[in-house]
Amino acid sequence: MLAKYVARRFFASVIVVLGVTAITLALMKTTSGSYVPGIDLNPALRPEDIARLRSQLGLDLPPQVWYATWLWNVLHGDFGRSMIDGSRVTDHILERLPNTLELTGTAILIGVIAAVPLGVVGALRRGSKSDHALTVTSVAGFAVPQFWMGLMLILVFSVTLEQHGLPWLPSSGAYSAFNGGDFLDRLQHLILPATVLSFFYMSTWSRFIRSSMLEVLSQDYIRTARAKGMSERRVVYLHGLRNALIPLITLIGLELPGLVSGGLVVEVVFGWPGIGKLAFERALQYDYTTVMGVTFFATLLVIAGNLLADLLYGVLDPRIRYG
Amino acid sequence: MIGPSRVAELDMPAAGVETGAARPAQSYWNESWERLRANRLGMATGVLIVVLALIAILAPAFSAVVTHYQPQTIDLDSTFARPGVGHLLGSDELGRDTLTRLIWGARVSLGVAFLTVAMSLFLGTTVGMMAGYYGGWIDDVLMRLVDTVLAIPAIFLFILMSILIRPNAITLAAIVASVGWGQVARLVRGEVLSVKQRDFILATRSIGAKDSRLMVRHLLPNVLPVLIVAASLGVGQIILIEAALDFLGLGIQPPTPSWGNMLTNAQSYFFRSGWLVALPGITIFMTVLASNIFGNAVRDAFDPRLKS
Repeated sequence: MLAKYVARRFFASVIVVLGVTAITLALMKTTSGSYVPGIDLNPALRPEDIARLRSQLGLDLPPQVWYATWLWNVLHGDFGRSMIDGSRVTDHILERLPNTLELTGTAILIGVIAAVPLGVVGALRRGSKSDHALTVTSVAGFAVPQFWMGLMLILVFSVTLEQHGLPWLPSSGAYSAFNGGDFLDRLQHLILPATVLSFFYMSTWSRFIRSSMLEVLSQDYIRTARAKGMSERRVVYLHGLRNALIPLITLIGLELPGLVSGGLVVEVVFGWPGIGKLAFERALQYDYTTVMGVTFFATLLVIAGNLLADLLYGVLDPRIRYG
Repeated sequence: MIGPSRVAELDMPAAGVETGAARPAQSYWNESWERLRANRLGMATGVLIVVLALIAILAPAFSAVVTHYQPQTIDLDSTFARPGVGHLLGSDELGRDTLTRLIWGARVSLGVAFLTVAMSLFLGTTVGMMAGYYGGWIDDVLMRLVDTVLAIPAIFLFILMSILIRPNAITLAAIVASVGWGQVARLVRGEVLSVKQRDFILATRSIGAKDSRLMVRHLLPNVLPVLIVAASLGVGQIILIEAALDFLGLGIQPPTPSWGNMLTNAQSYFFRSGWLVALPGITIFMTVLASNIFGNAVRDAFDPRLKS
């Protein structure tokens, strides 16, 4: 049963992957006439020069040849070449990926570590002042623009502190350019961007744990545990929290794609040399083969992440049946 | 969004809410409107959004009467002014009045947001209704398309499209809507699948109504509550996305002021003026906060099933 389900989900994922390649190809074909805007208008280029450039870049191939070549390369781990310097997109991705994972992984970790106690407190003291304060915080977490929160943190913790001669936090990059790169240096650089990113995760997950906890605590077996004289602490943490956390694991599984794409804006604000910043920088240079390669790579991870979350859900919660 | 509830207001009976068994039967719309009106925070945020929209529409009047500046008026004698009498909310690196630019920015931000919602709803409803109503291979093809679009990380797709299409307000809305419609289509399809089973659809078909009539006159009104809820919950998120794209320089281009691209410039002048960084962000934050609270109120009023 499970094997059949996995096979079907996998097949559906393959169709989606093919669909994504078709969409990116279509987007690219619509504009490939002028890979650099205005190249047709450049008076220094003769028509035959433009034609030569186009054939050099493979832009004159029929779409189906193009598509097949591209797909073949992707299957071999080659996500294309940069339009600007001909470098391999795969190399860029592999170079930037560790930085991105460092940032988003930390943020997700902090998000979970902060969200669990906050959610539990909210559920246990429902309607109290601290519960209301938590609600307000998480509502704010949904409404605050991440890039602006980043700018404000830089304004306070980098600019203002430095102006007053106090110790300040670095506002840009993943490590110092000179004599940097050790653990402490990287940690200092990590604090501000990870704070911004984890704030959003914390807002989402603390709400979720709160309602999940409330639901679990209203179950019969909790009443039974209390009735037989079990200490409140044991009831809440051993019986309550353990069950309340099961759905959270799926939720975190669904955030796995965010490991690659979730931090783009934050990476740009803090000059973090990750995948998102790579896509952004290359976008500003019209290097759309690179942007496309990165997008496709991120999409593959999204689909894999969704598949994984789906399967994880079944493993953790035996009540789920695969139809 | 705001439309339906305002229509409902005109239909309101003079009497207030009656409680108990004597309460006369009311239409779904009246009941929902009553529920929304009883939610004071929700109504307050709704009014705030209407006021913001009015300010955005009347931006030329505001800059003529209230602030006495145009958004592009450069005044190099008073750059980086602090908030005060001359410039109510200060001025930027070219001496342009911040309040005026925020008001004109509201035109862009709210305009794009509402346009995006409208486009997503139109496309999503059409696709979702076709998929749900016809079923079979049409359903399969359309929903796989939705899966595909929603699988691409949205922010990468926005970046890719905004370098392929240099965005103005309308194309920017189209870019954001090109992802947003997928969610709407899924919602609408689910709703159509359940409504389709009801007897009145069978009855309507048995008296010879055509597919198009069934969809527009009978299915659409039943899907409307879901659409209203989706729209009011979506506005806030779309304002955030639009602001982020403008901030990255991939959305509305300067000199046209928008809340997002005002922050792009401010970034370079941290040491000169913190106000330039704080004010546009606070504006975005308050607007999105109001939209989200209003969206939740609308959901609670129009779709009580979903209330958490």
